[in-house]
Amino acid sequence: MRRVGAGAPGGRGADGVTLTDPEKARFARAIQLPGLGAEGVEALRAARVHVVGAGVTAGPAILFLAQTGVGTLFLDDGGDVSNADAGAWLYTQRDLGQQRLFAAMEAVRAASGLVEVRPFASDTIVSATLVCSDDETVARRAAEQARRAGVPHVVGLANGEGGEVVDVPSGAPCFRCAHAPGARVFPRRGAAAAVGTLAALELVLLLARVVPGGGGGRRIDLVEGTPTARPTERIPGCDCYNVY
Amino acid sequence: MSTQEWKGALVVGVSGLGGAAALTLASGGVRRIVLVDPAPAEARDLSGHPLLAEEDIGQPRAAAAARRLADRFAGIDVTAPPAAFDERTGPALVASANVVVDASNLFAAMFAVNDVAAEVGRPVVHAGILQYSAQLLTTVFGETGCLRCLFEGPPPPRAGAAPEAEGLALLAGFAGALVGMEALRMLEGGRAAYAGRLLVYEARARRSRSVTVKARPGCPACAAWARAHPAAGGPTA
Repeated sequence: MRRVGAGAPGGRGADGVTLTDPEKARFARAIQLPGLGAEGVEALRAARVHVVGAGVTAGPAILFLAQTGVGTLFLDDGGDVSNADAGAWLYTQRDLGQQRLFAAMEAVRAASGLVEVRPFASDTIVSATLVCSDDETVARRAAEQARRAGVPHVVGLANGEGGEVVDVPSGAPCFRCAHAPGARVFPRRGAAAAVGTLAALELVLLLARVVPGGGGGRRIDLVEGTPTARPTERIPGCDCYNVY
Repeated sequence: MSTQEWKGALVVGVSGLGGAAALTLASGGVRRIVLVDPAPAEARDLSGHPLLAEEDIGQPRAAAAARRLADRFAGIDVTAPPAAFDERTGPALVASANVVVDASNLFAAMFAVNDVAAEVGRPVVHAGILQYSAQLLTTVFGETGCLRCLFEGPPPPRAGAAPEAEGLALLAGFAGALVGMEALRMLEGGRAAYAGRLLVYEARARRSRSVTVKARPGCPACAAWARAHPAAGGPTA
């Protein structure tokens, strides 16, 4: 995994993307949004996002990222569709037993003809990573791989009736510094969808450069339906001084 | 059969916010859902709608969303009546549900949902989006204040055109999941997170703040609820 640089020369958007008429019609609301605008949409269209997971937390995130206008999604999941994935928003009854990766790709293509979706490969060049695996071990490993590759990333982990979202932009403390390991329970009552969409929202804010000054690293805890954010702090001794 | 399976939810407004709420309800096991939104889907609706695709453009949003919901969840009873929610159609729709999710994108509709729910006596979970800000409020008539206690009435037409029209699509998705969760909590008999408080989440600042919403003396909706439910007691308006 490597990170793609932003910016492109000559008469096009800052990210090398010029919106077509169908794109302008589709993303009209976002283009009108102060702070986002056509430049923000162009940044999203140019983005190449690696998504780790295609289960109940990642599914809603993938669907919204595709429809919000992210240009290319690289999906990364090794599981099969089971009844537990009903909350993933992506799968029909016909997908049961199929590989989630390919069923999710099909669902994304059906949702939007404006997104390119591919399986992730280790040499894929990406601009950011969204980690929404329902397996905490997989999530920790994926976050560390993104950090080592110098890729900005957001991690969403659902837990019971809430969960956490950790932003790791350039130079921010790593996920390990921000994360509090502990006993986790399978998300219920829609918590996975809330955490997944919040993580995707954070990624979009990061990619579209909506937050003045970048905002730095932060952790958002979702408890009893209320998101509460705080800046992340580097654990003494951690060598995660990313600047990319 | 679990509690949610025999209880029903009404979702008014099937934009991205309402679509996310409906998916959260169905994922949580609710098997009887009514979607109300006869407006035709437009291209710009697709920039943040988890239940619509290109071929749905021109189709009523609720009907298209209902078809996709039925495709994803076996055994779900999801209907999309062709009429809009108003004072005439609203009472029967509200009476058919145990909880109402107000994801409408017009202030007039929000207050219509509030007033009909007061008459019929059903809890309402309201959600709205304005640019980078999401607002959530749960009303349990007889226990909390309602939308009309907080704002009295819709803002003047110029300011109140479309709360969600310029909202960030993914914030609508997040808010939709939150209201879906809230409705699930209520259907299961749990404690409502936004009962009697307006939660405002500002996505750029990542800041949440709450405003307590108490029953306002003179509120016509709460007064209508008290008249329709004289034995229930609770705060009087």
